[in-house]
Amino acid sequence: MLAYIIRRLLWLIPVLWAVATITFILMHLVPGGPFTQEKKLPEAIVAALNRRYSLDQPLWRQYLTYLWNILHFDFGLSFRGDRDVSELIRDGFFVTAQLGVLAFIVAAVVGVVLGVVSALNHNGFFDYVGVFFATAGASLPNFVLASFLIVIFAVKLGWFQVLGWGGPTQFSDALDPGAWDIKKMVLPVIAVSTLPAAYIARVTRASMLEVMNQDYIRTARAKGLTQYAVIMRHTIKNAMIPVLTIMGPIAAVLVTGSFIIEQTFAIPGVGRAFVDAVIRRDYAMIMGATLFYTGVVAFANLAVDILYAVFDPRIRYK
Amino acid sequence: MRNRRSWFLLLMGVLVAILALVTFGCGGEDEEGKETPKATAGEGDLAPPDQQKIVVQSGEPEFFDPHRSNFEQDIAVERMLYRGLYQLGLTDSGEVEAVPAMAAGEPTVNGSVYTVKLKSGLKWSDGQPLTAKDFEYGMKRECSPEVAGPYQYLLGETILNIVGCDDYFNSGEKTPEEQAALRDEMGVKAVDDTTLEITLGLPKTTFTTIMSLWAAFPARQDVIEKYGDKWTDPGNFVGNGPFILTEFVPKDHVTLKPNPNWALEPKPELQEITVKFIDDTEVAFRAFQTGELDMTLIPAAEIPTVEGSDTLKSQYLKVSAGRIWSVEMQMNNEVIKNPDVRLALSRAIDRETLVKVVYNDAYVAANYWLVEGIPGYQGNGPFESIIGYDPEAAKKALADAGYPDGKGFPTLKITSLDRPDRKAEAEFLQKSWKEILGINVDIEAVDAKTRSQAFNSKSFELFPGGWQIDYPDPENPLIGLFDTGGGNNQYECSDPDIDAKLKAASTETDNDKRIKLLQEAETLIVTRLCGAAPIYQTAMPYLVNSKIGGVRANGSLDAAMPGNWCPECWFVKAQ
Repeated sequence: MLAYIIRRLLWLIPVLWAVATITFILMHLVPGGPFTQEKKLPEAIVAALNRRYSLDQPLWRQYLTYLWNILHFDFGLSFRGDRDVSELIRDGFFVTAQLGVLAFIVAAVVGVVLGVVSALNHNGFFDYVGVFFATAGASLPNFVLASFLIVIFAVKLGWFQVLGWGGPTQFSDALDPGAWDIKKMVLPVIAVSTLPAAYIARVTRASMLEVMNQDYIRTARAKGLTQYAVIMRHTIKNAMIPVLTIMGPIAAVLVTGSFIIEQTFAIPGVGRAFVDAVIRRDYAMIMGATLFYTGVVAFANLAVDILYAVFDPRIRYK
Repeated sequence: MRNRRSWFLLLMGVLVAILALVTFGCGGEDEEGKETPKATAGEGDLAPPDQQKIVVQSGEPEFFDPHRSNFEQDIAVERMLYRGLYQLGLTDSGEVEAVPAMAAGEPTVNGSVYTVKLKSGLKWSDGQPLTAKDFEYGMKRECSPEVAGPYQYLLGETILNIVGCDDYFNSGEKTPEEQAALRDEMGVKAVDDTTLEITLGLPKTTFTTIMSLWAAFPARQDVIEKYGDKWTDPGNFVGNGPFILTEFVPKDHVTLKPNPNWALEPKPELQEITVKFIDDTEVAFRAFQTGELDMTLIPAAEIPTVEGSDTLKSQYLKVSAGRIWSVEMQMNNEVIKNPDVRLALSRAIDRETLVKVVYNDAYVAANYWLVEGIPGYQGNGPFESIIGYDPEAAKKALADAGYPDGKGFPTLKITSLDRPDRKAEAEFLQKSWKEILGINVDIEAVDAKTRSQAFNSKSFELFPGGWQIDYPDPENPLIGLFDTGGGNNQYECSDPDIDAKLKAASTETDNDKRIKLLQEAETLIVTRLCGAAPIYQTAMPYLVNSKIGGVRANGSLDAAMPGNWCPECWFVKAQ
């Protein structure tokens, strides 16, 4: 198992290299650079700016310099304010991850509970409620939901606030209790968690129904186990395998942030920072964020593969 | 299996990059430049100091360093943090003028040498004396190749022409000793602590106006040398404006507090201004409604909502902005270079209806180029009957060009920003030309950088675009934009009559004659549609909480919140 994990981690190196290279090429192929603007800067000023940021070097040299720097964990400076890209990603991720983790917990709890209740109450009232939620939640885009939530619960009723994130926004404030404001957390968490909750509920329900028809469940009942033992020990545990499979990518998507939700609530997260960087051709930030995303997705997949082995004794990695 | 997963990861990474580069390539446009507030006293009763706090919306600035700034949101905040020798304000008759700020009075002019006396006893926010040396250092810093200031050209030959500024700026490849020599040779000298001597290549009537701009703000050599690029971080920051920067959370907000050593009147009543960074004004509009924001720009699309609500309507404030918008036309194009074609395109645009349906009347229909609010403004009067909306005249012009009823006219391309309002604008133009002239245009909607790149490389045919003035003088939206080979003349307007007027204006030292020459240049440009058919002048729709007093326009025509008003005049009224 350990050898497997190490091998997977080593594989990450060529993957990151390939992603860095392809992103670097694409980024320079897109029209316009960091200093391109409608009110054109005089040539002498562009030349001075390019010199300042070493963009006057040939592309191959910029590429090699970049690779050399990231080997030393130097991700460069953002053109916006010369701020350190690693700090921007760290602070952005710190906020996005709070939102993502909260949303993931809500989605997992709500989704699994709804799915299990629906399956156990197959074709009953709770099943219809669960299916309705799963269908509605899956078909409503999160920005539409967010707008509804904002207009109803913030603008009309005044229960919640809409501007910024209710947790600490900088890593250095992590332990400051004054940085928490639940009024600013509720709506973004609901907006982000509804779709994954609906998805988890559907998969849980389907998987539960399938497992409940298996021979070993009948055997478990036949040997006289209580309903509780059958459901908890045999049904849910086995039904969780497909649910876990989808939870990996869901977790990765949630903790890497949603541009639209971060934009809608003016949350200073990494999702918004990444898209902003692309719009502004902020090269170092684009590269840093892409590599960061690749790493997060890779780790999320690895975590799921390890969890498989935990939940299903038949799976063994060598 | 493992191999396949690695490929999957690779694919995911690439997909993320491609999606972000392609799909999200839309949104915020890169835009620029701005001006200073005038100190005016507020009205009404004051709330106690602990209630003197407001939260305002702004785009996120890149820098709080005036010599490195390129965008209106940077400059808007810098106006609160620094002040120049002069500042812009309105005369009693409503005309914009530069009045002394840190300077004690008007400059003494001897040929092209300008001597400015500073007020005595000036201080920086940390209590150190503010002297002529700090202005000398600031201006030399703006001309430094190492700083690479995007607005260096304001002090360089293009505009103010301070002797030696360009030579120093273009010395990036030279040795440090050679650079130091060029810096010392620059025509900016502190004669003593309160006397600054500035030598220009030629006398310049807009001297005090340029001196009010961020490029000429003072800077503290010891602080900059000590902290390098981090000199504007909270704790390091030193300024001479009404407020100081006390907190900065990137991507989120800055907090400003009053500067205890602010030299001018009035002294700020506000004890705290929080500037929240919100690019999406729709988001800001909702936050205003929940009471989380006290001042914000709003999207034109929300104007009907505002006007339909009594509470919002009373807090609505429309401020005219110095941006003219037009359909820019590539004069090198075989079809477009025919003046009758350009006339037909211009006369087929119903500007009044355009601003009504696309922008809810937030903007003003325009057939002029020199915006309302600056000296030399001529308005629609002289131009409407020549280039304004007239379907019959448009059809006739197209027939005169050899395309009766649009027959034989090739399909042109219109390059627009991929944003809902700008796409609606392009569709309006497309439909007007189809219905009135019977011609087809294809819309190409692209992200801001791609659009700017197309413009700067002159690879466009029709291009809705315009000019935001950097300072309120008619030379700013004309020189460099319509002279042959001008740096911002991407539509390749090249007309000897226009060149002659602009050249004469740039060397004319009599201000009235200079403005007359610039007006004549505008008349030629607009009536000949040399590269641009003006369509509207923008305005900025704001919501300002009714609890705030002292908010007024000052004629600087800034497009960014909240820099174009006098922030030291703002206060919270007693409830």
